[in-house]
Amino acid sequence: MAREECKALLDALNKAIACYHHLVLTVGGSADSQNLREELQKTRQKAQELAVATRAQLTAALRDRGLGAEERAEFERLWVAFSGCLDLLEADMRRALALSTAFPLHAPRRPLVRTGVAGGAAGVAARALSARSLRHEAEGDFDVDDLREQECEILQVSEMIHDMEMKVNVPRWTVQARQTAGAELLSSAGACSVGAVSVQERTGPCDPSKALAATVFSAVLLAAVALAVCVAKLS
Amino acid sequence: MAGGRPGAQMPHLSKMERVVVSMQDPDQGVEMRNQRLRITVIPHTVAGSDVVDWLVQKYCISEEEALHLGTLLVLHGYLYPLRRPRSLVLRPDDTPYRFQTPYFWTSTLWPAAELDYAIYLTKKNIRKQGALVGHEKEHYDQLHRKISHTWDLVVMQAREQLRAAKQRRKGDRLVIACQEQTYWLVNRPPPGVPSVLEQGPERSSCTAGRVQMTKNTEFYKREMERYRKALTRARVKSSVCLEAYLKFSSQHAPHDPIMSGCLPSNPWVTDDDTYWTMNAPSVTVPTKLRVERWGFSFQELLEDPLGRAHFMDFLRTEFSAENLSFWEACEELRHGGQAQVHAMVDAVYQQFLAPGAACWVNIDSRTMERTLEGLQQPHRYVLDDAQLHIYMLMKKDSYSRFLKSAAYKDLLAQAVIPPEAKRRVFPFMRKLPHSSPSPALLPASTSGEPVAAASGPECGDGGT
Repeated sequence: MAREECKALLDALNKAIACYHHLVLTVGGSADSQNLREELQKTRQKAQELAVATRAQLTAALRDRGLGAEERAEFERLWVAFSGCLDLLEADMRRALALSTAFPLHAPRRPLVRTGVAGGAAGVAARALSARSLRHEAEGDFDVDDLREQECEILQVSEMIHDMEMKVNVPRWTVQARQTAGAELLSSAGACSVGAVSVQERTGPCDPSKALAATVFSAVLLAAVALAVCVAKLS
Repeated sequence: MAGGRPGAQMPHLSKMERVVVSMQDPDQGVEMRNQRLRITVIPHTVAGSDVVDWLVQKYCISEEEALHLGTLLVLHGYLYPLRRPRSLVLRPDDTPYRFQTPYFWTSTLWPAAELDYAIYLTKKNIRKQGALVGHEKEHYDQLHRKISHTWDLVVMQAREQLRAAKQRRKGDRLVIACQEQTYWLVNRPPPGVPSVLEQGPERSSCTAGRVQMTKNTEFYKREMERYRKALTRARVKSSVCLEAYLKFSSQHAPHDPIMSGCLPSNPWVTDDDTYWTMNAPSVTVPTKLRVERWGFSFQELLEDPLGRAHFMDFLRTEFSAENLSFWEACEELRHGGQAQVHAMVDAVYQQFLAPGAACWVNIDSRTMERTLEGLQQPHRYVLDDAQLHIYMLMKKDSYSRFLKSAAYKDLLAQAVIPPEAKRRVFPFMRKLPHSSPSPALLPASTSGEPVAAASGPECGDGGT
């Protein structure tokens, strides 16, 4: 059904944009490299493809006059989320361009800011592209050409946003979001494990690792007790 | 911090960025250490004392200044402390700091958006499993009300961003979380912490931000216009201004209730409103201060209804009362309703200006011509010239005679000076407390008394 397809596309777009945001955070920092720029480009292009596809579907759905009120409300909700996604994407793309220009990887080299982020982000980009892993295949001066491409793509996205506003009239204030405040807490258990990330340097351990240590210790203790009992019985 | 245009990068931020970038130089930058967290090792930690030493050496400044500069860097979020993230100060010891990633550098070009803040708070809510506290909880609720239509997007993005972060190593995850936290501490400071991004009021004469690069004809035209206007501005010598100001102050000082107290008593202090009843607009016997005030200027006399009435009586004795009547009629026209303008102009013309009118006023021929022309298209300011002429006539002529007249002198003699209200006091008080305490009158030694005198039920009604 059209609604399910739209929702799936929107979810994929949302994922790509979140990964793109995560990658842009590290531009100019110590993790910046040609690989990162390539990952940015791939994620960006994927996000744009998804955006074009979603837009086509949503526009077709909203332009359909014979849509019931409930269906229309549903599509309007998706539309509002979609335009929000596009705004986020455009802002991140602009910022990425500004940062890439300010911290070029080719000569004249400016020292990158030593932020403490050292690892690669191939996993993030792979997640965005819904692939298992990512192969880096760019040549040396990749980022120079990439800058020009970025400018064109930013213009394309701005045009898309403008077109959307002109062609489809969805008053945002009438849209009722389905999620209420605190809805994110009702998510699956997958989100709870992220609570293990502590932002402060804690002298004490976090609870899950404490539980793990306790179970390991008790298992070792039990094994030792069992061995001692066996030894006592045998002797 | 002078006001700047919103949407332009403030100059002090660009300067700070340059300092931070020069700190990154691998040969001449700041010394970096590693941070050891149980199993993970995170590089690129810098100690507060190292930062101060580097600044002292690079810019040849004193240690105090380097400390201040370093604190500014921390306050604006370019460096963040690792141990106590909410306390944004630079300590010149081995407290560890780290540099902020350029994406999160404080920027007025990319102001922090509400949607981003909502996503951040939602992420925090997920991580803390619903235990947001304090101002963050309030902001979260506020944002939910403000942008409830995009809340779906907020929740989706928050979840996805957390999942994307899980693809990184633990050390990187920690660092990125710290960076984001610092960014929001700077852009949405907790209550009680002043915001570094506040821009002061825009100063209209500040042209620093408006330097136009291309000096084209538009630019020169505007400059010429600006200077032409500046030439026509009226200028008064400051010595003249100050003399007039001194004269005004010395003349009006006895009349000011704060500077000289008011008789019989200050109604706000003693709850006795004799002062107001004695100075009501229409009272039979005015106070002496009021009558003296009519002598200061013609404007004062006309503004006081009682003074105007007495002036009118005086003019009647001189057979020139029509001047004042004309002036009053013109005032009514100026301040009256728009619908009555036509009717009033006609009435005024018939009564005062037409040849052979009942109360014909003596206006010079040129003004009369102009007025009669203007009467073809009447509006509320059409009689302004004539009114001004009559006003100056009265001021130069009748007003000075009024002040010298017997009528005025009688008024002065009959004017009443209300006695100061007697306060019921405790028998052992050394000094009679003032019934209208004035900070200008009281010497410092009696500062305790007005506080006692102004309280409680013993400041009763003084005698009138």
